[in-house]
Amino acid sequence: MDSMSSKQKTIRTVLYWGLPVLAVVLIIIGWISFSSSNPDLMPTPLDVWERFIRTFTRPVAKTTLIGHAWASLRRVLIALFIAWAFGIGFGILIGWNRAARAFFGSIFEVIRPIPPIAWIPIVIMWFGIGEFPKVLLVFIGTFVPLVINTSAGIEMVDKINIHVGRIFGGNDKQILKEIVIPTALPSIFAGIRTSVSSGWTTVLAAEMMGAQQGLGSLVTRGWQGSDLSLVLVAVITIAIIGALLAVILQKLEKVVCPWNNK
Amino acid sequence: MTADKQKLEAKWSAYKETQKRENRKYLLLSAAGILTVLTLWQAVVMMGLVDSKLLPPPTVVLQTLMDKIYSTVPDGNTLGTNIIASLKVALSGFFVAIIIGVPLGLLMGWWTYADRFIRPIFELVRPVPPIAWIPLVVVWMGVGLKAKALIIFFTAFVPCVINSYTGIKLTSQVLIDVSRTFGAPNWLIFWKIGIPSSLPMVFAGIRVALGNSWSTLVAAEMLAASAGLGYMIQIGRTVARPDIVIVGMVVIGAIGAILSSILSRCEKYFLRWKVNR
Amino acid sequence: MEQQVKRLEIRHLSKTFFSQKGYFTAIDDVSFDVYDGEFLVILGPGRCGKTVMLNIIAGVEEATEGQIIYNGKEWKGLNPEIGMVFQKLALMSFKTVIENVELALKFRGMKKEERREIARHYIKLVGLEGFENYYPRQLSGGMQQRVGIARAYAANPKLLIMDEPFGKLDAQTRYQMQEDLLKIWEKEKRTIIFVTNNIEEACYLGDRIILLSDCPARVKEVYPIDISRPRDMVSKEFLDLRTVISDNTDLSI
Repeated sequence: MDSMSSKQKTIRTVLYWGLPVLAVVLIIIGWISFSSSNPDLMPTPLDVWERFIRTFTRPVAKTTLIGHAWASLRRVLIALFIAWAFGIGFGILIGWNRAARAFFGSIFEVIRPIPPIAWIPIVIMWFGIGEFPKVLLVFIGTFVPLVINTSAGIEMVDKINIHVGRIFGGNDKQILKEIVIPTALPSIFAGIRTSVSSGWTTVLAAEMMGAQQGLGSLVTRGWQGSDLSLVLVAVITIAIIGALLAVILQKLEKVVCPWNNK
Repeated sequence: MTADKQKLEAKWSAYKETQKRENRKYLLLSAAGILTVLTLWQAVVMMGLVDSKLLPPPTVVLQTLMDKIYSTVPDGNTLGTNIIASLKVALSGFFVAIIIGVPLGLLMGWWTYADRFIRPIFELVRPVPPIAWIPLVVVWMGVGLKAKALIIFFTAFVPCVINSYTGIKLTSQVLIDVSRTFGAPNWLIFWKIGIPSSLPMVFAGIRVALGNSWSTLVAAEMLAASAGLGYMIQIGRTVARPDIVIVGMVVIGAIGAILSSILSRCEKYFLRWKVNR
Repeated sequence: MEQQVKRLEIRHLSKTFFSQKGYFTAIDDVSFDVYDGEFLVILGPGRCGKTVMLNIIAGVEEATEGQIIYNGKEWKGLNPEIGMVFQKLALMSFKTVIENVELALKFRGMKKEERREIARHYIKLVGLEGFENYYPRQLSGGMQQRVGIARAYAANPKLLIMDEPFGKLDAQTRYQMQEDLLKIWEKEKRTIIFVTNNIEEACYLGDRIILLSDCPARVKEVYPIDISRPRDMVSKEFLDLRTVISDNTDLSI
């Protein structure tokens, strides 16, 4: 270890804490100066704050901001639970059974590269712009990464673990339940994480294309009404909820897979 | 020993035969999977269970695909024009994101001060779903190529930075220490050890970026464009031509798959030293 | 004196691996006997056929030629009376020590109280009492190997196969484990087939040593060992035995 003079140490600490603060300050200054000189392109932080308050006092489409956020969230959660139920099971099937993988895998590989957003027009043509088509779209967006990650996790289980199962007398079902699936859990969780972020993005896109309620609908409304503050309020809310979901999943993973913790 | 050798040769031929048969079996199963879906699809429409105005049968979709190669109905461009328009936007945003994002991520992972300064800015951009950028960017910059490429840039940028950052953070401390004992300066260790060892993660990030780019491009084109595949399927919807929409979806998927396999080739080339278990 | 009952007979075992590009023979015409209750060591250079042979005996791989005769009858495939300790450990990282040890019993459908009892007995036998609820990650290499041994013992096999179980351990732990294994074996006698590439270990542990050649593996020689236990690694008879074997060996070390 090279020894540092106390002067060097102070410089290091100052930089360490000062740089991020400097960055944040620069951003805020940048925002304020840009929005002050171009008010029609970018609302000031104050405008955004006021608009935020107003979504509670004068609700848009008879719903407060919380109502819109919940509408979006609810669609995602419903679709997620259904996708988890079918996706994980399907993923295990095609991961474990080579014949199933050949038969179902081919049509899955055709569907897979189509981005969920590209499904929006056809789903709207079939089912309109109600609740069901939105949940369906989120389901499509969450189902795919789940199946991919789950089947990959199952396929990647080291053969020796399966040998252990066989030598100690396990039949296929027992080996799957006691050995293979738990080994694949981290991958399955990766699939769950991806599906949540994908679902959140998809619900937004679906709502932007036509909805009465939901954060995406707020974005569209603000955009078409030249109400940029509303757009920003919605975008910031979207970002915060997205980040919260990610953090919750992280904590959840620590609980479900405790054996990886220090 | 010759008798044994003959026996072995015979067993080897038998093995190769069985392998061939197995591979054929799985190939047939794959084909059967797709054929079953197509047949069901065709049957459901032909039997009148589903309105062909909502779901055109595969035969009609195929026909439309052929037509669209030359026809500009209903969106004003041929299929080729749309494909090129989409690729132009997607790839420009994508490549700029790689050129800026990967070095940035590597730098942030290696130098603490770069990390401390850039991090807050990055953490602001990161949680915003790419689609949400569309209205903002459109208001600022209109609907031209630059605006859409910027939107694609945002969505491809994030995974490039994150994965490059993680990749270089995972550089083996042992390798770094060994290089130090040989007297290598910091930047050289970064260049010769940090960067090559983080390549697998960098490529994983690029892969995600590609998927994001293509997907966001479709969204951007559906909301604000006058050409491109996303635009095409949006128009298809408004004029009630589901066959156009399905053709669009299939082409979007096909091109996405092609881009992805090109990336895989590049990855195999750059990572040819990597051993697969 | 060992009983002369043959537990296992390997007759003309061969294994050739086929691929699209060609074939490769790992085991070529190997024959030997395993007597009931003995500690048999198979000594051979690394990376060649030993693990494959064990896999064939355990029933998870098939031989290209040859027969396995167990208790006088020909046997193919998995054998519930054979247990195995793996070189690569293969402990389930998501199961606690006791859950790992009781695996075979759980597969057999035993009730929880019963299998916990048995598992605890073997955890105690290998000296890991108190660690029942730890995860493998929290244990040292030597301790993890003990879990593997307890797991194999808990399955109550008549024949226990051990595939270089101490290969990855440092020298000190290795010596300790060798001693402890013999103690465990004295307490609960099983027939053991122990595979290693270390001459010293082979001489210390075995009743008999089967020396294998380099690839493709063939039986070079069988050495019965008459030195009584506990053996002294620096006694004259031990060192003489070592020299005899190492002169005959293809081992590169």
